[in-house]
Amino acid sequence: MIVIDKICYSSGLRGINAGEKMAFSVMTLLFCVVSRNAAVALAVFFGNTVLTLWKGRTPWKQYARLLLIPAAFVLLSTAAILVNFSRVPLDAFAVPIGEYYITGSRRSLALCIRLILTALSAASSLYFLSLSTPVTDILQVLQRLRCPTLLVELMLLTYRFIFVLAETAADMTTAQQSRLGNRNFKTSVRSFGALGSMLFIRAVKRSARIYDAMESRCYDGKLRVLRESIPPKGAEIAGIVLWGLVLFGIFMGSVLLWKS
Amino acid sequence: MEELMRAEDLFFSYDEGETWSLEGLSLTIQRGKKYAFMGANGSGKSTFFLCCNGIHRPNRGTLYFDGKPVSYKSRDLLALRARVGVVFQDPDDQLFSASVYQEISFGALNLGMPEKAARREVERVIDKLEIAPFSHKPAHALSGGQKKQVAIADVLVMHPDMIILDEPCAALDPRHSRIVRGIIDQLTGEGVTVLMSTHDVDYAFSWADEIMLFHRGRLLRQGSPEEVFSDIQALETAGLGRPAALEVFQSLTQKGVLPKGLSVPRDLKALQRYLEDLPSGECPSSL
Repeated sequence: MIVIDKICYSSGLRGINAGEKMAFSVMTLLFCVVSRNAAVALAVFFGNTVLTLWKGRTPWKQYARLLLIPAAFVLLSTAAILVNFSRVPLDAFAVPIGEYYITGSRRSLALCIRLILTALSAASSLYFLSLSTPVTDILQVLQRLRCPTLLVELMLLTYRFIFVLAETAADMTTAQQSRLGNRNFKTSVRSFGALGSMLFIRAVKRSARIYDAMESRCYDGKLRVLRESIPPKGAEIAGIVLWGLVLFGIFMGSVLLWKS
Repeated sequence: MEELMRAEDLFFSYDEGETWSLEGLSLTIQRGKKYAFMGANGSGKSTFFLCCNGIHRPNRGTLYFDGKPVSYKSRDLLALRARVGVVFQDPDDQLFSASVYQEISFGALNLGMPEKAARREVERVIDKLEIAPFSHKPAHALSGGQKKQVAIADVLVMHPDMIILDEPCAALDPRHSRIVRGIIDQLTGEGVTVLMSTHDVDYAFSWADEIMLFHRGRLLRQGSPEEVFSDIQALETAGLGRPAALEVFQSLTQKGVLPKGLSVPRDLKALQRYLEDLPSGECPSSL
C-alpha cells in the first residue's frame, strides 16, 4: 500500500482531473467484467498498461510486481477449474497416472484463458487509478458524487492516520528489537502483545489530542476543506469516450466473428 | 500597553482534583508583546495554553480575554478560538488531512470565509511560509520541519490576534528552527501577540519581551529577560540555567574588561560587538 501511495504522488498522470481518471478506470473495469470477452480484456489491459507505464511513468518493475499479486491468485483458482482427475481422458490434455488421468477439456481451457485475461485486465484498471490518483483526490470525487459526508470524512482521517500509526508501530518495534525483545519465540510473542496494547493506548490518546487541535481551529462537527481539483479537459474526455467506443467495437466485432 | 488576556487564580486538574496542573495561576498578557513561557515539564505551560482558547475550562478562577470573562457557550468559544490560535507541539497531532492544501484551508473555512476568499488566503499563507515546494506532497511524506511549517500555516490562515506556540522548535534541526523563528519574527512584526513555550534559555533571552517562569502550576516569576535571568533563586527553583551571553557579560564586567553601566547584551553577537569596540591592548593581561 505504501508503495502504491509513493508512486501515485509522483505519477505523470497526477495533473489530470481525478474525475476523468476515475471514469476511465470504472468504464474499462465494467467493459471487462460485463463483456467477459477475451479480446476486450486484452485491449483494456494493453490500454491501461500503456497509459500507466508511458504517460504515468510508473517504473515497469514495480508495475509487474504489483500485477503478480492478483496473477498468483487468479492462476491458483483457475488451475482448479482446468485440472481434473478422471478415468476418462478429456480433449485438451491428459497425463496418465496408473488407471487415472490428470486431464482437462478444451472448453475449460478456453474458460480459464478468458477468466485470467478478464481478471488481470480488471486489476490493471484499478491499478491505473490507484497508481495515478492520490486517495485525497479520489475522496474529493466521491464527495462530488454525493457519497455520504460521514463516510468521506472517515476515509480522510483513516488515510492520514494509517501512516501515523504505522510509523509509531515501526518505531516501537525498533525500540523493542534494540532491547532484544525478539530474541526468541517467547519474548517475541510477549513483545508483540505489548506493542498491540501500547499502540491502542497511544491511538486513543492521540485521537484526544487531535480532537483538541481541531477544536482549536473552530471545528464544529463538520470537516470543511477546500477542493483542489484540476479542471477537466475536453480533449481528454473525448479520448475516454473514443476509447469506450473502440472497446465496444472490439466487443461487437469479436462477437460477430465468433458467430460467423 | 493594552491588556489582552488576564488569568486570575486559575485551578485546573485533569483528574478531578487528585493532582492540580494549574494551582492558582495569575498572569496578564499585553497586546503585541512577545512572551516566552519557561519552566520544567509538567509545570503547567501547555495546560494554560489550552485554557487560553477554551479547550480546557478551569475548575476555579477566571480567565479574561479583551477585558471580558471567557464564556464557555459554544458560539462564544468559536469566537474566542478564531482570535487565539494554538500551534501544537507535535504536528502529527494537528495535521488531520493528508493533503497540505486541504489541511490549511480547514481553519479558514471554519471561520465562514467564502470559498474564493479562503482560496486566496490559503495561497497567501502557502506563499508566505514558503510551503509551495512541498505543498503537493502528502502530509506523511513531509519532514518534521515541513510539518511544523504547515502546522503554523494552519493557524495563520485564521488571522488570530494571539498565537500560542508550544515548543515550536522542539526536535527541529537548526535550519528549520531558523525558518520557524523567522516566521515568528515576521508575526510579531505585524503586531500579533505571541506566546511561546521553550526550554532554550539563550533564545528566550534574546527574543522575548517578557519571560513567564512557571513552577508547579503557578507563576513563579514574571518580568523582562534581564530581570528574570538575574533572579538566581527563581532560576534554581525552576531548574533553568542562565543564558550564555548574560553569564559571560557579567563575568567580563566583574573582571573589569567591560566598563560598568553597559546595557545587558541580549545575545552573544551583541556581546561580541562590545568586545570589538574595546580599544585593543587594553585587555588586562591577567585574562
